Amino acid sequence: MTNNKVTRHTRAVRLTHWTVAISGFVLLFSGFGTMPLYARFNINKIPGLSWSGDFLIEQGLHYCAAIIFTAAVFFHLVFHLRRREFAALPKKGDVKESLEIVKAMVTGSPEPPSGKFLAEQRLAYAAIGATSLVLIATGLINLDPAFIQTVTLTHTVATMLFLVLFLLHVGAFLIKANRPLLPSMVTGRVRRNYAEHRHTEWEI
Amino acid sequence: MKFSRRTFLAGMGAATAAAVLPKSRAQAAADSSDTYATLIDLSRCDGCSALNTPLCVAACRTKNASRFPEPDPAMLKDYWPKNFHEDWSTRREITYELTPYNWLFVENVYLDIDGKEEQVNIPRRCMHCDNPPCVKLCPFGTAKKDKNGPVYIDPVACFGGAKCRAVCPWNVPQRQAGVGVYTYLDPVPVGGGVMYKCDLCRDLLAEGGIPACMSACPKQAMTIGKKPDIQRHAEELAASYSGYVYGKTEHGGTGTLYVSKIPFEKIDAALMDGINDSKKVMRFHKPDNVMQKHSALVKTALFAPVAGVIGAFAATVSKREDSNDQQ
Repeated sequence: MTNNKVTRHTRAVRLTHWTVAISGFVLLFSGFGTMPLYARFNINKIPGLSWSGDFLIEQGLHYCAAIIFTAAVFFHLVFHLRRREFAALPKKGDVKESLEIVKAMVTGSPEPPSGKFLAEQRLAYAAIGATSLVLIATGLINLDPAFIQTVTLTHTVATMLFLVLFLLHVGAFLIKANRPLLPSMVTGRVRRNYAEHRHTEWEI
Repeated sequence: MKFSRRTFLAGMGAATAAAVLPKSRAQAAADSSDTYATLIDLSRCDGCSALNTPLCVAACRTKNASRFPEPDPAMLKDYWPKNFHEDWSTRREITYELTPYNWLFVENVYLDIDGKEEQVNIPRRCMHCDNPPCVKLCPFGTAKKDKNGPVYIDPVACFGGAKCRAVCPWNVPQRQAGVGVYTYLDPVPVGGGVMYKCDLCRDLLAEGGIPACMSACPKQAMTIGKKPDIQRHAEELAASYSGYVYGKTEHGGTGTLYVSKIPFEKIDAALMDGINDSKKVMRFHKPDNVMQKHSALVKTALFAPVAGVIGAFAATVSKREDSNDQQ
C-alpha cells in the first residue's frame, strides 16, 4: 500500500509548517489587535473574545507568538541550508511558467512539466518567506525609536502583504488541481499517481 | 575564514547580543545630560487666580493656535459602528481640561491640611516620559520622541485611533474628529481624527528658547534645563521645604518633575475624591510602565533566531548520525 503514496514533506518540515502557520495566525490576530480595531468593531463583544480589545494582552500575545514564529523561520532556513535542500527557491523563468500553469488551470490544457514544486509554489514561497523576514526584522528592531516611523510603517505594510499571501496560500486549495497536496501537510505523503502525473520531473 | 558551526553560532550570538544590550536611543537619550527636563514648583503656582485663564494656558493657546485642527464639517460624523465621535471644535474655549485646542490646563484642588483648607494649583500637560508607551506602541509610528526629550505627535500620519491615549497613564493625547489622513479614506470606517498634545514647544527649544508657558509664568513656577541639573534642583528644592518630588521614578521616569510641600498621595486622593472614573482625572499615582512589563518578552524575542538556529543544528546533526548508522 505504501507504494501508492510518495513522501513529500518530512516530519520536521510539517512541524515547522504548522508552527509557522499557527504562530503566524496568532501574530496576524494580535497584530491587528494592537491597532484600535477590535473594540471599535465590537469584536470584544463576541463571547470569549472580551480580552481582544486590551492592547496589553494583544501585545504580550504578539511577543509570545513572535518568539515561536521567529525561532521556526530560523530553524527552517538553517535546517534546509545544512541539508542542501533548495528545491523551493525560485528559478529563472518561474514567472512565465506560473502564468502557463494558471492558464492551464483555467483552460484545462496540459500544465508544463514540474519538479517537486510548481513554479508558482516557488514564487509563493519566496514572497511569503521574504515578507516574513521583513516582518521579523522590523519587529525585532522596533525597539529603536530613531527610525520608529519607517520601521513601524514597514511592519504594518508587510503585515497587510502577509495577510494577502496567507489568504492566497489558503485560497489555492479552492482550486481542484491543488487539493491532492493538502493531505501531505498532515500525513507528509501524496498519491503516487498525482505526483507522477503533475510533478513529472520530481525524482521520487 | 573557515565557516564552521561554532563560528556561525558565535556570530549569531554576538549579533543578537549587539541588538539586545544597548539601550534604545530614546532611553539612552533620556539618561543623558543632553536631555531636557522641566520642574514645576507647586508652592509657586497660584493658578493666576485673579485671571479668567492662567497666563501659561493662554500663552500655550496663542503659541499653538496655528496648529489647532480645522475639521471638515462633512467628516464630523460617528465612528461607525460606534455611535459617537469626538468633536471639540465647537468647544474651543475650554481651558479647564486637556482638549485638542488646549494642551495645558491648571487643576485647582482643595485639601484639608491640619484642619485648614489649602488650594493647590497644578499645571498639567504631557509628562514627556523617558520610555513613552505612546511612542513605542503607535501602530503607525506617529508619536515620536526627540533625542533631547520632547514627545510629540506627527499629525500628518495620525489616524486618530487614540491608542496613545489608552496607553498613557495620564490620558494626555486628545482626539479631534474630521481632520487627518482618515478623512481621505472615507467612507472606509478606519481612524477617527488626529491626536493633539503638548510638544514642549520643541520648535522654540531648537531655537534656544523655552516653552511658551514658562516664559509667560509671572511666578517662575516652571523651569526647564538639562535633566541632571533639573533633577538636582528638584531634590534641593524639595529638601529645602521638606517637600516631595513626583515624576522622577514614576512610570519609569519622566521629563517633568513636580515639587510640592504636600505629599502627592494626598493631592491624588483629593483629585480622586468623588470621582468614579479615574480616566477623567490626571492623577498623581504610581503607574507601571507597560513597556517595562513586556521587556523580558522582548529580550526573549531577540534570542529567538539563536534558538531556531540551535534547533536546526541539533536536528541536522541527529539526521546525519541516523544516516551514518544506516550506512
